[in-house]
Amino acid sequence: MTAKPSEVMLELKNVNTFYGQIHALKGISFTVNKGEIVTLIGGNGAGKTTTLRTISSLKTPKTGEVIYKGKALHTTPTHDIVKLGMAHVPEGRRIFPRLTIRENLEIGAFSINGKDVIEERIQNGYKIFPRLKEREKQLGGTLSGGEQQMLAFARALMIDPEMILLDEPSMGLSPLFVETIFDSIRALNAAGKTILLVEQNALMALGIANRGYVLQTGEIVLSGTGSDLAQNDEVRKKYLGED
Amino acid sequence: MQLFIETLLSGLALGLVYSVIALGYTMVYGVLELINFAHSEIFMFGGIVGVELLLGVLTKTTWHPLLQLVFALIVGAAASGVLAVTVERVAYRPLRLRGAPRLVPLISAIGMSLFLQDIVRLVESLFGNFNRPFPSYIKGDEPDFFAITHPLVSGATISNTTLTIFVVGAIMLAGLTYFVNYTKTGRAIRAVAQDQSTSSLMGINVNNIITVTFLLGGALGGVAGVLYALKFGTLNPYSGFLPGLKAFTAAVLGGIGSIPGAMLGGVVLGLLEQLAAQYISSSYKDIIAFGLLILILIFRPSGLLGRKVSEKV
Ligand SMILES: Nc1ncnc2c1ncn2[C@@H]1O[C@H](COP(=O)(O)OP(=O)(O)OP(=O)(O)O)[C@@H](O)[C@H]1O
Ligand SMILES: [Mg+2]
Repeated sequence: MTAKPSEVMLELKNVNTFYGQIHALKGISFTVNKGEIVTLIGGNGAGKTTTLRTISSLKTPKTGEVIYKGKALHTTPTHDIVKLGMAHVPEGRRIFPRLTIRENLEIGAFSINGKDVIEERIQNGYKIFPRLKEREKQLGGTLSGGEQQMLAFARALMIDPEMILLDEPSMGLSPLFVETIFDSIRALNAAGKTILLVEQNALMALGIANRGYVLQTGEIVLSGTGSDLAQNDEVRKKYLGED
Repeated sequence: MQLFIETLLSGLALGLVYSVIALGYTMVYGVLELINFAHSEIFMFGGIVGVELLLGVLTKTTWHPLLQLVFALIVGAAASGVLAVTVERVAYRPLRLRGAPRLVPLISAIGMSLFLQDIVRLVESLFGNFNRPFPSYIKGDEPDFFAITHPLVSGATISNTTLTIFVVGAIMLAGLTYFVNYTKTGRAIRAVAQDQSTSSLMGINVNNIITVTFLLGGALGGVAGVLYALKFGTLNPYSGFLPGLKAFTAAVLGGIGSIPGAMLGGVVLGLLEQLAAQYISSSYKDIIAFGLLILILIFRPSGLLGRKVSEKV
């Protein structure tokens, strides 16, 4: 978890994103350094998902820039961003319900070639989440919420990403499962992957993050190290449910 | 018994043609939730291109009639495939990129359908009559190759035309099934049909996959057009409408969006239609066939192989 603070991986500069008239992101700027876990916390509708969608070019910002490894993502189509080594596990996991577990993983590898590499990565995913192997031929839509989250993780790992965007991986999971998921986030980071983690479960997120940003109605209102934010009175009141 | 067997064979051949056309409707619906009304003209176009090629060029060669037909099938498929891709680019993509509501591309599809009928009609009026009979392959004393029949059981016979439709139709259905289920592009088509934005997160260029879908669906339509001309003798610029409508019905009967459904729906409709024509009344065959379809759909509203609820995420 000791990151070299200097090397910037991802930078958002004064990003403004709209849904029609709705100004969802109001001039957001932040950075993620190589090797870090950075978390974005905030309540419902704060703009967390919109931020990730803007990074992935699913949403084009009206103004501002998204720079990843020196490249402008806001002018790069979504399907080309994967090729730069960035994976995005979307909100609600978005497993392909009518593809099998294995096909979901194969689709995750759409941008890479080489049967052997793909097979190796599928097996690697099965090693991390043995439950997926047992259900290999089952349709994605038949998995439980937790299993779908495992599949979404494994699918994102198929491109061996340098950076992973995670949108509320703990959503709807039992506390035990949340532990499992956070353990794997830690393990991925230990394996050198940079992580941008969006969470409503602020306590857990700040617990594993190097740094965090607090988003409120489309604006960043606070930032600091994970532990600083976890100590912050305002954060404790608003997002950790303490009075 | 002889009549029954021959009716079944004829119904199956007709049904296979419907199936091959229905695939074009169901594949496009699968990825875009759009009913491509222009598909009936894409079908007609490939058929006319194939027939004109046979009459103008291929019958003047000394090739075996089967080889001539294969060539016409390939060119007809290519012509329809390119036309389908063009229709998507011109009439549907611009609307999609501007986020038009669902009804708008539907109107655009109907417009395209009429437009293509009249364009083909216009070209016909400039260059001659397209409503020409499918060539009969009479050379000297030889009988027409496609009219040659082979005895089956109980005195029933099967013609080379029917056999050809069986073989070509089966190859199309099997080939598409393999492609969609076991190739990387096929998998991407299924992924895009389920969730476009997540597909793009996987590195899939969604617009390219939509193009491939139209190309495949269109090419199948072209193959069906040539087979239809082989079976029924002629095609004119308005010939697409009725078979197109029936194939669309077949796709709905099978469960729109479902590939095996379109195949099954086509065969069921073809058989019903032929049986009704033979045993009840040929002038009421469509009423009888469609009446039965409505009955089936009342009991299975999502089609024979359709999903119970649409789970578009
Ligand atoms: N497709 C959309 N069309 C219109 N408005 C949208 C759309 N998606 C999001 N918004 C609006 O943009 C704002 C930010 O939404 P966003 O989904 O980014 O919030 P979030 O922080 O991810 O919330 P949650 O924690 O509930 O997932 C909200 O006000 C929301 O209503
Ligand atoms: Mg969200």
